[in-house]
Amino acid sequence: MAERDLTNLLSHLKSNPTLSYPETTALLSRAKLLLLQLNALTPAATTTTTNQPQLLALARTTYEQGALASIRAKNPDAFTRYVSQLRPFYELSPGSGGRDEEQNKITGLYLLLLLTQGLYGEFHSELEALSSATGHAGGGVDVEGDRYLGYPIRLERWLMEGSYDRVWKAMKKGEVPCEEFGVFSEILTSQIRSEIASSSERAYPSLPLSSTKSLLFLESEGAVVEFARSRGWTVKDGQIFFPSAQETGEEEQEQEMSQMVIENTLGYARQLETIV
Amino acid sequence: MPGKTPDKEPVENGGYRGGKDLKPKGKKTSKKDADDEMTVVVPPSKASKQSSAPPPNDAEGDVAMDDAAEGEVKVDPVVQAINDIKSNYALLDRAVALFDARYSLRALRSISSIRKRLTPDILAQAISETFPASSASANAAKQMLQTIGRSDVSLGRQPGPEMEIDSEPKSSGGKNGAKKEVKEVIPEVDVFLGILTQVLLHDNKQFKQGFEFSRYLIDRIRSVNRRTLDSLSAKVYFYYSMFAEQIAPLPPSPQSPIVAIRPTLLAALRTAVLRKDVDTQASVIVLLLRNYLLTSHISQADLLVSHTQFPENAANNQVARFLYYLGRTRAIQLRYTEAHEHLTAATRKAPSSACAVGFSQTATKLLLVVELLMGDIPDRATFRQPSMEAALHPYFLLVQAVRVGNLEDFETIIADHADTFRRDGTYTLILRLRQNVIKTGIRMMSLSYSRISLRDICIRLHLGSEESAEYIVAKAIRDGVIEATLDRERGFMKSKEVGDIYATREPGEAFHDRIRACLALHDESVKAMRFPMNQHRLELKNAQEAREREREMAKEIQEGDLDEDDLGGEFEGM
Repeated sequence: MAERDLTNLLSHLKSNPTLSYPETTALLSRAKLLLLQLNALTPAATTTTTNQPQLLALARTTYEQGALASIRAKNPDAFTRYVSQLRPFYELSPGSGGRDEEQNKITGLYLLLLLTQGLYGEFHSELEALSSATGHAGGGVDVEGDRYLGYPIRLERWLMEGSYDRVWKAMKKGEVPCEEFGVFSEILTSQIRSEIASSSERAYPSLPLSSTKSLLFLESEGAVVEFARSRGWTVKDGQIFFPSAQETGEEEQEQEMSQMVIENTLGYARQLETIV
Repeated sequence: MPGKTPDKEPVENGGYRGGKDLKPKGKKTSKKDADDEMTVVVPPSKASKQSSAPPPNDAEGDVAMDDAAEGEVKVDPVVQAINDIKSNYALLDRAVALFDARYSLRALRSISSIRKRLTPDILAQAISETFPASSASANAAKQMLQTIGRSDVSLGRQPGPEMEIDSEPKSSGGKNGAKKEVKEVIPEVDVFLGILTQVLLHDNKQFKQGFEFSRYLIDRIRSVNRRTLDSLSAKVYFYYSMFAEQIAPLPPSPQSPIVAIRPTLLAALRTAVLRKDVDTQASVIVLLLRNYLLTSHISQADLLVSHTQFPENAANNQVARFLYYLGRTRAIQLRYTEAHEHLTAATRKAPSSACAVGFSQTATKLLLVVELLMGDIPDRATFRQPSMEAALHPYFLLVQAVRVGNLEDFETIIADHADTFRRDGTYTLILRLRQNVIKTGIRMMSLSYSRISLRDICIRLHLGSEESAEYIVAKAIRDGVIEATLDRERGFMKSKEVGDIYATREPGEAFHDRIRACLALHDESVKAMRFPMNQHRLELKNAQEAREREREMAKEIQEGDLDEDDLGGEFEGM
């Protein structure tokens, strides 16, 4: 009985992606309670051995819906929680060809989340798991070719290279694989903007206002001036001048260097003493 | 040749028997001396050298005997192998008596020489001659026989009649059998034969049976609970995990049995840590790491490393393996500096013998990729080593592409050798190299041109568009790859004059790095020195003597034999 309730609930959730976040959370917590009654909240030995694959699938769908809902509500913490709850279910899913659309979507979103949070180490750990899982299984999906998984991977590569214009293009409407991915665009935009700004500070002696607009993907010159002010740049006669960090740093560097030399030499002396 | 063999044989067997005969003597003296003083170590080590020397000797002798087999004694290789196995009992016995793990290790080391000659028949015979039918561990022996498919062999068999023909082994074999009747077989011998069974099954690719048997063997070790089994149990766990890896659904799939053995290994790790069982601890940590990496559970591997402490005085091979896996984890997590450190240490610690060439190849491959990722270009000499040259060829091409900064070459090499890289597990790491190739390309261009248009950069590096090129160059400038400025209006990159490198801190840092490496090497070699047990007692005795001498001297001074002025003068002089 609980099982049928749950199925109804989930189909309701699936068919109405526009529900507001509080409503979905309410529904989801009901679904989770039902799962608890069925003793399928986490994959235990009992649920896997007795043939209840449909129960597992139900639990999986619940969490997947939860994850998507929390992304739409821009709640990264909740999303991460759902992803970690989903992980054991994905591990259990039969190896070959078991990766379905939803799973790739969730994983792709998770990758993108890690990317926007700057957690590159975790990003690559996740990626390694993906490529080894699909690369050897034979007939598995090509990670880069996948619509959902390929997107964050390409973004990461471009970000690392510095081809920010491609990232910018990829974030425009139509290029994004599905609407949930669009949520991250805003964060990514501000991220690449600050990246560009910091590299421009070093690369250009000065920049004309008009071209800065296109360089930073800003809408108007007014926005450029505002952005320049927030970064502490000086705007003069339609040109942006960057404060040079060189002169202030030099003396400090000198001091730091002699400090280092002294420290090292003292270290050598101490070591020599212990040896001799 | 046939003329020579008879001469050779008795000598060898004599050496053998000598070893055997020495055993009780060595044991007795050591027992007597154990409480006495420092000479303890000397007699047994001498004796054991004699008894452990034969195996390599035999390996040579074996070849010669094969030639002479038709004319001479037919069964000799079999008898030889069995005797080889039995000669290790002495070592194990001594390990138990002296509570010194080094003897067990020596026994384990002989496995590799026995391994080549091991057949189910030889092992079955060795087992049946070792275990009397009535002993408590007869069950264990039966289990072993059953696993190798020789369950019809009965236990407690006296060395077969065919051995009677051969005069020399007969006496030693007979003696051995008689002794075993009286004394219960020690669990160490039991487990040692178990390990041989594992080796045999592994070599014959009977992974399923091996897995089952290993599980049984582990249960036995746990139930016996003897500290002298520690180094043996490390080996048992090693084969256990090896079997699990080979059983069908193979590793990357989450259904593989290696996932299922994790609880057992973790339990073993916990027990090993609590009992300060360094061998098992080191080997199980390495196995777990390997296990996690096979299924790409990087974060779990990372957690394992951060929550455990790898024993400092573990065996060299385990350290090398541990460092390799650790380096791998760190490389995936983009912590290249640490990865580089660990991998360099791993390649240096890797045994230089030919049988471990696979390990050093794999470690070197990974090290090369990590070096490239760090922006360094590996030494050309690495690729010239004869043992490495062929295996490293794809990587050599890769290094060339990265060094020149040719993106096109880079892409084709990846496409050509994708399978090799995937098999080596370096593929994803290599994909990350793309940005390094671009950076090198930009650096080359900045060095050769004082001014170059962005369009040209874009064409040379095969970048998508001029805008991309601009962003990429800007990023390279910020990251300190090149010293240059961009001119947006006219669209070119202007290189700055290259400063004097000796004015920067770079030479100092390089110097510091090298000195640190030397110091670390010194420290490690000091730590690696081994001192004979109880040697300090000798020193104590010496110290006591010295003190006595001093006292005598003081007495003499008091008595006025030595002039106090003299001493005082000496001090002043100093």
